[in-house]
Amino acid sequence: MQDLASTAAGTDRIRLLRVLGPSHVWALGVGIVLVGEYMGWNFSVGKGGMIAGLMACWVAGLLYTCVAMIDSEVTSTVAAAGGQYAQAKHIVGPLMAFNVGLFLVMAYTMLEAANAITVGFLLDTVAGMQGQAGLHQQPFIVLAIMFLAWLNYRGVLATLTFNLVITAIAFIAIVALFVSVQFGASAVPLDFSAITSDPLPYGWVGIVASLHFGLWYYLGIEGTCQAAEEVRSPARSLPYGTMAGIMTLLIAATMTWYICSGLMPWEYLGQAGTPLFDAARVTGNTSLMVLLFVGTAFATLASANGCINDASRAWFSMSRDRYLPSWFGAVHPVYRTPYRAIVFLVPIALIFALGAPLDQVVTFSILSGLLGYTFMTFNMVMFRNKWPLDRIKRGYVHPFHPLPTIVLLILCSTAYFAVFLGYGTQLSAMMCFYIVASLWFHFRRYKFVRRGDQFTMPWPKPQGY
Amino acid sequence: MWNLLEYAAWALSALFGVLMVADLIRIDITYDNELLISSREGEIEATAERHEI
Amino acid sequence: MAYEPPKQSMAGQIFDVITLLVLTIGALYIPLYLGLAGAAKVPNPITNPTWESLGQNATEQQQWAALGITDPAAANEIITARFDYSFSWTALIVMAVLVIGYFVMVVRLSDREYREVIEERFGTKRR
Repeated sequence: MQDLASTAAGTDRIRLLRVLGPSHVWALGVGIVLVGEYMGWNFSVGKGGMIAGLMACWVAGLLYTCVAMIDSEVTSTVAAAGGQYAQAKHIVGPLMAFNVGLFLVMAYTMLEAANAITVGFLLDTVAGMQGQAGLHQQPFIVLAIMFLAWLNYRGVLATLTFNLVITAIAFIAIVALFVSVQFGASAVPLDFSAITSDPLPYGWVGIVASLHFGLWYYLGIEGTCQAAEEVRSPARSLPYGTMAGIMTLLIAATMTWYICSGLMPWEYLGQAGTPLFDAARVTGNTSLMVLLFVGTAFATLASANGCINDASRAWFSMSRDRYLPSWFGAVHPVYRTPYRAIVFLVPIALIFALGAPLDQVVTFSILSGLLGYTFMTFNMVMFRNKWPLDRIKRGYVHPFHPLPTIVLLILCSTAYFAVFLGYGTQLSAMMCFYIVASLWFHFRRYKFVRRGDQFTMPWPKPQGY
Repeated sequence: MWNLLEYAAWALSALFGVLMVADLIRIDITYDNELLISSREGEIEATAERHEI
Repeated sequence: MAYEPPKQSMAGQIFDVITLLVLTIGALYIPLYLGLAGAAKVPNPITNPTWESLGQNATEQQQWAALGITDPAAANEIITARFDYSFSWTALIVMAVLVIGYFVMVVRLSDREYREVIEERFGTKRR
């Protein structure tokens, strides 16, 4: 292998373009996640009642704060496309990296499919309100995926600037709803009497069970580091954008819980398809209704957009290292995007968006995310052990190590149990999938991988090797 | 009205799909595959950030 | 001498992608086809429901009306549906073994591969 410095000096290579700033990182992270406030989180209320919904919101918030802190430290040091995948490669090893890459591709592609399904559902609702029953949702699902894939294909700056605008609008819509209701724009008053009259319909197990969908408030915030190779100054922008993102989400999640729980009976809320839009319907205010409709549509599009971006980066990085066929590791010479990966993942997303029910797709996505968070715990410990703080410079050092790691591990175990309550079969099926895929990689695929190329950071040798 | 929108959505989907695939084929013919897959991880690191204390 | 991997043919690349796709789609659709997927709520509707017997106060009744449901009978199933959280300990243990075993296996095999990487990257034979 050539020396790294001379490789970098070569000009006959095509690479991704470094054009993004911290606001784009925020838009990527929050854009993927904010849709969780517009749909899905409310099933946690259904699974455990109103108080359980709030507890899940905050416990999951704590889990994700740990994720953001840990992730910021590692990613501000290992800045490469593929995010956690590149981290795993440098810190744990190739097979772990392959698995993490798969978690990322699965979690984001499934989330993208879920978003497309929601777009179809939302348009169906609107068409129904205008008296057109039985709208065909397929063309709109396909269009959403095709348009966003095309946008991603054409370049990352336009894609994430678009995301910044629509994410900001969706976030403002939540704040506007909260403020208007506080100032009495609602025809129906807020009512929290269920907190005292029906506090925990399932008892304590309900709180644990609701954590399953509590994750949905924040799922995907860790996607910020997929942009590492396209950010102008990764060591500064990534921690900054990620932390700003998690704060935005904690605020939005709490507001969302407050408004929705106050404006709707918890039994209804627990099974609603578009809770914030329904809350706007309860206020009886037409402009709020339009605003929240736009917010819902934008949030789903922003999320699908970010997912295409992230899934394709992960797929691209794995192919570049030959963990997957190297054909996918190509960069577009003009637009500088991983174009083959983007195009390839389109039909995959379509298969799931058109063929599978929403809750299955969502559960598959949540589980892949959860496996990724579990990986982060031991990844963090190994990172600090192999390269203690005084060995290499980090862009950001998170405080109180190893406390966040321990908290994260405990919360992950609880979340596995929560998913197990009701979705045990899927969990087992998915574990089998990852076990088979791992064996396949170790015994068949790994022979195509160049060993020395798997460590690209200009770091000293890890301790203990 | 909604029927028209459905057809429009199909047409636009096809348009975006064709645009992407056509461009992909054009690029693959124009450029050498070795050049297209020449990107390597860690180039940013080597040029910009040394992680030294 | 650094390890030089074989170059993979196009057919081999396609075959590998298809393998992975079949695995993925299998993992998602097999539980679905076997009808093992999902935890549904079970409604326990009460007879002759009124808003009072369903435990909805005046404000909540207003909220139901705003959502387009004015008849307590229509809300009966939504309000009385409950999940069943009973589970078998055997299944829980099987799942725990699967998850923990999976991570142990991956980390151990990774470590073996990682040592090769470090050896080649930092080894004395570096060119």
